[in-house]
Amino acid sequence: MKFRKSFKHALNMVLHAKLRSWLTILGIVIGVAAVIAIVSLGEALQQDMTSQLGDLGGDILTLTAGRSRALFFSHNRMKDSRGSSSASEEEIVIDRTDLQALKGISDIKLMDTQIRGDAEIYYVAEKGSVTVYGVDPATWSQITTSEIGEGRMLGPADSNVIVVGGRIADGFFDKQLGVNQLLTIEERLFRIVGILDDNSNSIYMPIDKAYEILEDKEKGVYDSIVIQVKNEDELDQTIENIEHKLMIIRHVTESTKDFTISSNQQSNDARAEMMGSMTMFLTAIAAVALLVGAVGIANTMFTSVLEKTKEIGIMKSIGARNKDILIIFLLNAALIGFIGGLLGVIFGILLSGLLPALMGTGGGVMSRMGSAGSVVSISSIIIALGASVFIGMASGVIPAYQASKLKPVDALRYE
Amino acid sequence: MDYKSTLFIKEHRRIIIYIKQRELEQRMNQTLLHLENVWKIYKMGEVEVPALKGVTVEIKKGDFVAIIGASGSGKSTMMNLIGCLDMPSKGSIFLKNKDITKLSESNLATLRGETIGFIFQQYNLIHSITAFDNVMLPLEFLEIDDKTAYERAKKILDMVGLSDKTHHLPTQLSGGQQQRVSIARSLAADPEIILADEPTGNLDSVTGKSIMEMFHRLWKEEGKTIIMVTHDLKLAKYAHTTIELKDGEIIRIDKN
Repeated sequence: MKFRKSFKHALNMVLHAKLRSWLTILGIVIGVAAVIAIVSLGEALQQDMTSQLGDLGGDILTLTAGRSRALFFSHNRMKDSRGSSSASEEEIVIDRTDLQALKGISDIKLMDTQIRGDAEIYYVAEKGSVTVYGVDPATWSQITTSEIGEGRMLGPADSNVIVVGGRIADGFFDKQLGVNQLLTIEERLFRIVGILDDNSNSIYMPIDKAYEILEDKEKGVYDSIVIQVKNEDELDQTIENIEHKLMIIRHVTESTKDFTISSNQQSNDARAEMMGSMTMFLTAIAAVALLVGAVGIANTMFTSVLEKTKEIGIMKSIGARNKDILIIFLLNAALIGFIGGLLGVIFGILLSGLLPALMGTGGGVMSRMGSAGSVVSISSIIIALGASVFIGMASGVIPAYQASKLKPVDALRYE
Repeated sequence: MDYKSTLFIKEHRRIIIYIKQRELEQRMNQTLLHLENVWKIYKMGEVEVPALKGVTVEIKKGDFVAIIGASGSGKSTMMNLIGCLDMPSKGSIFLKNKDITKLSESNLATLRGETIGFIFQQYNLIHSITAFDNVMLPLEFLEIDDKTAYERAKKILDMVGLSDKTHHLPTQLSGGQQQRVSIARSLAADPEIILADEPTGNLDSVTGKSIMEMFHRLWKEEGKTIIMVTHDLKLAKYAHTTIELKDGEIIRIDKN
């Protein structure tokens, strides 16, 4: 039988299929839709990440005290277990000495000294707790990756003014806040000069004022120093230079190093990696759904062969070769896969359009995924369709082979 | 008209009749199907049940054969073997001088498609496709080109008197109509042999008679070889040769 005719008969079989076949198709639809939605979401995240990496300054380094979080903690524990009083030991900090040392490094373009802490804020009769950042008003606006939405950034001559995160201006209090309005932070009045284009609960103010607000902070000691390097391509070299200089100043060696320099690039990479593995995990779950769909096809095909045994006998009696029967049944399975895949792609696209809206309201990673939106690429559609046709054929190959090998006399006798 | 030309015409007619008779004899002399000591043994668990016990018979081209016998006599088994639907346990079957036991599955299927047209008691039409597509099916398996196949199917459905029912599904047709579709299907590939298994078994006597008349016409006018399995002795009277089976053996061969 010619391929075209075999295809016609296979299509006819699908079109005359009973509810069972459509349920099987539904299995594939769910699997493919899940895969498409998750993969497209993952792709969107990756794109989002890359675009952020572009404008999120790969040229920014952050210097903090302590070797790394994990080591720092274990170091503290060791001290405790030794029972020595921690007060007698000098606390590890970053201070003016370090800043002076850094100023002598030619690879550094700009530096921003920062402290941070929690503070109470009041507006009209409402109050709340926010994170306050004290920043160098002269350099912060050039180094920060945040973007201004309304008003302006902090300037070198600023004193009693603040820049607030988008969420503080809109949503934190019942009343919306605007530029030039006054806000009370720890009983001091500040004027809002700018609102950031983000969703944060942060407030930025000149570092001198922040020392007054955050009482536990010692003047001249910084929580971190944000460094912008001159040449992004020589980032590793610059980090090495900074580390070298600081080690000399702080009298430490490679093994007793008590500070950490992290780059935005590193943290972005880490975040991307985490997102990637999460997408992988979700895709694996979706793949299981697809696998269940494949088992469904195989099951339906076996039943279908049983059901069509007599027809197979009839076809053989009027001249069908084993090959003809095999091709018809294989095409049937492939078509079930294809139709399932096609519907799955359509539902997947709809779903990936809906998911961001559903997840956007949550917090954390989910809302990140949500805000990223979704991108359904042509390649993922083609891969999904190809995979579902393949799954259909792979799960149909054994039933189809069995069908083709039926003895005509036995098949005809089947009722 | 003068005497001479009348004589000439008479002579001419006589010659034509003679030639036709010779043709029929020649046709009948050609062996189409030959069963040589054919055994068919079914295994029922431990027990071996022989359905055919060394059957030897020749069926000539252009013959109308009725295979009769009570149920369990082995006539269905014989029909399956003749139709190449099953293989003998022992012995050989020659169809058009080819030993079917030695043919590959694919070649056997093609030989079956080209040479034998089946008609079943249950009609055995494919229910999901129209009468027309059912008739087209054997031609599709033989990969006949669309135009020829289409015209052939149309012509044959017209011949069996169903030109107005071509696009009906089998379930929308009466038993007699369905059987006529199955006859049309059996004739589609223009096979030499029509193999019919109780063709009127499910039909009323009037419809059954019209079907039998159709067979008779196919035999007389189209020169088809017809092999019919039946337990109905009245139907066997339509046949030229009657083979009677009993307990897996041929007990009688009659010629009308």
